[in-house]
Amino acid sequence: MMRYPALLLPALLAASLVGAPPPATTPGGWAIPEPGHVFAFPADLGSHPDFRIEWWYVTGQLGAENGRHFGFQATFFRASGPKGAQEDPAFGAGQVFLAHMALTDVAHERFLDEERLNREGWDAGAAVGRLDLHNGEWSLRGDGDGQDGMTLEGGVRADASFSLRLTPSKPLAVFGEDGVSHKGADPSAASYYLSFSRLSAAGSVAVDGAAVDVHGEAWMDHEISSSQLGAGQVGWDWVCIQLADSRREIMLYRLRRADGSADPASKLQWVDPLGRTITEPFTWEVSTRWKSPRDKAEYPARVRLGTVDPATGKPVLFGIEPLVADQELANAPGGGPYWEGACRVVGPSGENAGSAYMELTGYAGPLRF
Amino acid sequence: MIAVLLSRFSLRHWRHTPWQNLLLVLILALGVGVFVSIRLANRAAVSSFQNFTGALVGESDWIVEAPVGSLPESDLGEIRAALGTRPVRIIPVVETTGGIPMAPGDHAELDRETMTLLGVDLVGIANLAQERGMTGPFAPRDGSFWDELKGPPRAWVGPALSGRRSLDLIVGDRRVSLPVAGVIPTAPGAPAPPPGLVILDLPQLQRLTGTPGRIDRIEFAVAPGPSITERRAELGRLLSTLGKGGERWRVRTPGARRETAEQMTQAFRLNLTVLSLIALLVGLYLIFQALDGAVVRRRTEIAVLRSLGVDASAIRAAWVVEAAALGLAGGALGLLIGWLGAQAAVRLVGRTVNALYFASTVRSAAFLPGEAWIALALAVGASVAAGWWPALEAASVPPAQVLVRAGAPAPGSRFWRSPLAAAAAIAFGLLLSRLPAVALAGGGRFPLAGYAAALAWIVGTGMLCAASLPLASRPFRRAGSGSAPLRVAMGHLLRPSGRHRLAAAAVVCAIGMSAGMAILVASFEHTVRAWVNQALQSDVYLYSAGSRSASAGSRIAPQTWRAIAGRAGVREAWVLSTYPLQLGEGQPTLLTGTDMAAVREHSSLPWAEAPQGEAVFDPDRDEGLALVSESFSERFGRHRGDSLVVPTPSGPRTLTVAGVFSDYGNERGSVMVERRHLARWMGDDSATHLSLFVLPGVNPDALRDLLRREYPGLQVFTNRTLREEILKVFRQTFSITYALEVIGILVAITGIALTMASVLIDRRDELTTLRALGFSRGEIALAASVEGLAVAAWSVACGLVLSVCLGWLLIHVINKQSFGWTLGFSLPWVQLAALAVAVSGAGWGLSYAVGTWGTRLPADQEE
Repeated sequence: MMRYPALLLPALLAASLVGAPPPATTPGGWAIPEPGHVFAFPADLGSHPDFRIEWWYVTGQLGAENGRHFGFQATFFRASGPKGAQEDPAFGAGQVFLAHMALTDVAHERFLDEERLNREGWDAGAAVGRLDLHNGEWSLRGDGDGQDGMTLEGGVRADASFSLRLTPSKPLAVFGEDGVSHKGADPSAASYYLSFSRLSAAGSVAVDGAAVDVHGEAWMDHEISSSQLGAGQVGWDWVCIQLADSRREIMLYRLRRADGSADPASKLQWVDPLGRTITEPFTWEVSTRWKSPRDKAEYPARVRLGTVDPATGKPVLFGIEPLVADQELANAPGGGPYWEGACRVVGPSGENAGSAYMELTGYAGPLRF
Repeated sequence: MIAVLLSRFSLRHWRHTPWQNLLLVLILALGVGVFVSIRLANRAAVSSFQNFTGALVGESDWIVEAPVGSLPESDLGEIRAALGTRPVRIIPVVETTGGIPMAPGDHAELDRETMTLLGVDLVGIANLAQERGMTGPFAPRDGSFWDELKGPPRAWVGPALSGRRSLDLIVGDRRVSLPVAGVIPTAPGAPAPPPGLVILDLPQLQRLTGTPGRIDRIEFAVAPGPSITERRAELGRLLSTLGKGGERWRVRTPGARRETAEQMTQAFRLNLTVLSLIALLVGLYLIFQALDGAVVRRRTEIAVLRSLGVDASAIRAAWVVEAAALGLAGGALGLLIGWLGAQAAVRLVGRTVNALYFASTVRSAAFLPGEAWIALALAVGASVAAGWWPALEAASVPPAQVLVRAGAPAPGSRFWRSPLAAAAAIAFGLLLSRLPAVALAGGGRFPLAGYAAALAWIVGTGMLCAASLPLASRPFRRAGSGSAPLRVAMGHLLRPSGRHRLAAAAVVCAIGMSAGMAILVASFEHTVRAWVNQALQSDVYLYSAGSRSASAGSRIAPQTWRAIAGRAGVREAWVLSTYPLQLGEGQPTLLTGTDMAAVREHSSLPWAEAPQGEAVFDPDRDEGLALVSESFSERFGRHRGDSLVVPTPSGPRTLTVAGVFSDYGNERGSVMVERRHLARWMGDDSATHLSLFVLPGVNPDALRDLLRREYPGLQVFTNRTLREEILKVFRQTFSITYALEVIGILVAITGIALTMASVLIDRRDELTTLRALGFSRGEIALAASVEGLAVAAWSVACGLVLSVCLGWLLIHVINKQSFGWTLGFSLPWVQLAALAVAVSGAGWGLSYAVGTWGTRLPADQEE
């Protein structure tokens, strides 16, 4: 999937303009994902400083005993600058770490978010060799080889916090072909894309100082890349769906061009109960839109997603509907606003078909740095 | 009724004598103006001590600072881990001063202007800035985000410097040229950044100052949201626990940090404020006198009013309202004078604050409404107080008696003429002078009893002088028995009116206080000269051009001072390293490392308590021993043999005081230890300044020129130029007191003229008689001038006696209690004689002029 900050877009576009044949590294000297890569854990859940960008993305939906329902997002990004910086252990200049946190309180139709950019050093970092990320008081730390589970500490200012234990209930999925997820015509526009597509989540959520115990399901992505956007792409739509009636998930990314059409590199993949991925064609139809009161951006609201169920070979149609209309992260430092929020998934006759998280970028005009 | 009285009675008199009343308003305005200007300048100088980070992102909740030196960066991670998931912004800060490079023609100066260099993490601070409504903070005007992080150091400046492409500064001992990255962003509605502020990315400033891995303070901002008060308090407790109750670091609020700066200068500012009251105090005598004169002149009228049935309370009320109106007019004009005066005074006060306390970047003084109310209240209060007695007297005028002998000048209340009451006041003052100072928060002391003693002596001597006027004029009578005008003049002095007495008391007050201050300053200068002669023995001195005497933010790197110490022609180098230190409840003082053996060998430090034995001067035996300055000894109550615990980055050190030395460099006091030990404790071998002894045959001036060329970041003085520089700074420190004295004297001289004018108006019947008896105008003027001269000369004589007493009080009680400095007593003879001649001469000349004017007074004019 996409899931990287607009901050990085100009650099990525510039890098991707360099044409074929695929070099061993980017012109800036950064590594490029290679087919057939053998993943090792916990190392491949940790930081990969030889790649230019990397992110760890956790989203999910949680329920409390009192019936409250929350959506949450916790994102940790790493981005490297041009090589050759004077390194300083506390105030590094080689990498920066960006983090976005959001909490959706469905019953109160409330959406809280906070974004943060820190340089590498005493207050932000990502360990090499294991899953250990922190940015200010926010952190994501794995146990053992990382496949045993992880602990997420996040929050939004002092208004909300969440402390969650995330345990994989399925094996790790690797998206793409032969371990490489392609994002454009340029061979270097690619990533290693690893996902825990179904994690059981348990812990607590506090809103305005009142904490409740919560349980639910989450999705965690880890993507490693140096350059992956194709020329002419202006944004993307990304959705992850956890189906209610089976232990299967769907991930899709739709790379948009300036004229609104989808880039051929766009992709939908199913994850079967054993964590294997199957690519299927898809259709994307926006049925309603929502206009941001802050920046007047018009985002898709309800979407009709058509694809083929690999288990039956028959076409299926899902409706994706936001749980709260306004789930826009409007204040991202160094990037433009984007919409990312908790959604429900409905079947053809309106029945509950599962839950989803949807990300919509590039709708608020030109991305700024 | 009162309104009728005021318009028909008071206003009419004001209309008849507009100049006299205008002069009164002016005198009051001058008194209030001086007071206001000093208060405003004080406030401005202190407010310049601020958390510069506050200008960036608003006030933080807590500040953590090492008790001495800086904190290691590793503390940051430790604190973040200890805070767990608490939403707290942690803002590390590096702060230092940067000098403005000297042009080729400039000579070295101790009080050169400096800039405040603030190092903050420009990436991290943006999160907080954005939260507080700032958009695009620290976006460089050219280059990319990564250039900002990775490129060479760049400076963010205030709007005043935004046109510059680059900024040349002395940082530490090096001259650097910093490209200007842009203008310091501020939150909407926030005040503009102070003009002397330069912001750099924190690690870049660390590298510039040669202190990688060290931070000067850490600020904390609790994230907004529910129960912020509880979370803030909890954070404070947590930080205190982590800081081991002050051993590792101190936890304070920005307000408390500012308060410490205020407390540091409190004694200095209070003393200056008291001095600023000289003019007002002298002015009060004159207002009292003017209102009293008005009572006398309007007696007939009052008597008529009383006989018409106007009751005493209405007359008293009208009188008080008139005094209050005078006060209000004087106060309002005083505010204007004060605000204008503050603009001049602020630089003078700022210089002193710089020299003694901390880097003050203040350039102008703001008008503060709170101060305006204080000044108006003071003016009205003083005026009403001065008018109170005359009001009582007016109200108590018995109609019949007055209508019979109206217009006779009153001799004044019996109490004020009593030598016994005067002696009692002086004796009370003596008693007060033995009382200790009032302890101020933060370790300062204010000699309240000392000032009360001064006031008692001023009042007592004034009364004594007034009472002895007849006695003093006797010799003149004998001398001038052949001259009719002289006999007339002496006749008046043998039976002086209350007016004479008040004028004399006013002059005694002005001369006593001004000459007393002059004695203090002369004694101070004499002592400092002697101290400089003893303390400065080296040939060449080097300071970082970025440091000031008090803030010492810039340091000389070890490799630099070692290279200089080892160069040809240098026989010996003496290295001094000073760090600000907080002791006890965060009371600021200084920790100084020096070559103790060199202290014994080269500098005959004047001792308050000399060390017993040589151990403190022997590097092998002196670890654990310290010398403390007299100010330190006074402030912290430590004497020879006492012990004190000094926190250092490598743990607390227990030191025994081996001796107490005199030091006039600062009033915070200092603890002096062997530099080699201190360098080890601090983990820092840099120097604050360096003294060189040259080999025979080496010309210090030539060496200075050579060093200046080789090290443009250093200020180099020869022994002679440094002495001159120290005395120059000393005089600057006191320049404001000279101005205050001159104003007091001017008011007193004006008072003599006013008195004579008032006396002559009272005596206009007599003047007519004298003219009828054949006295020429010249003779009448001569009589008036002699009268004025006699009052002036006698009160100057009394004032000088008072000044010697006040000088003693200022030196041995007030100064010692406020600053802990022992000064030798020195009388500035020439200055005192000049003052006496000037005031007597002015009194004589002005009285002659007034006498000439008096002869033209028509007998029937109302006032």
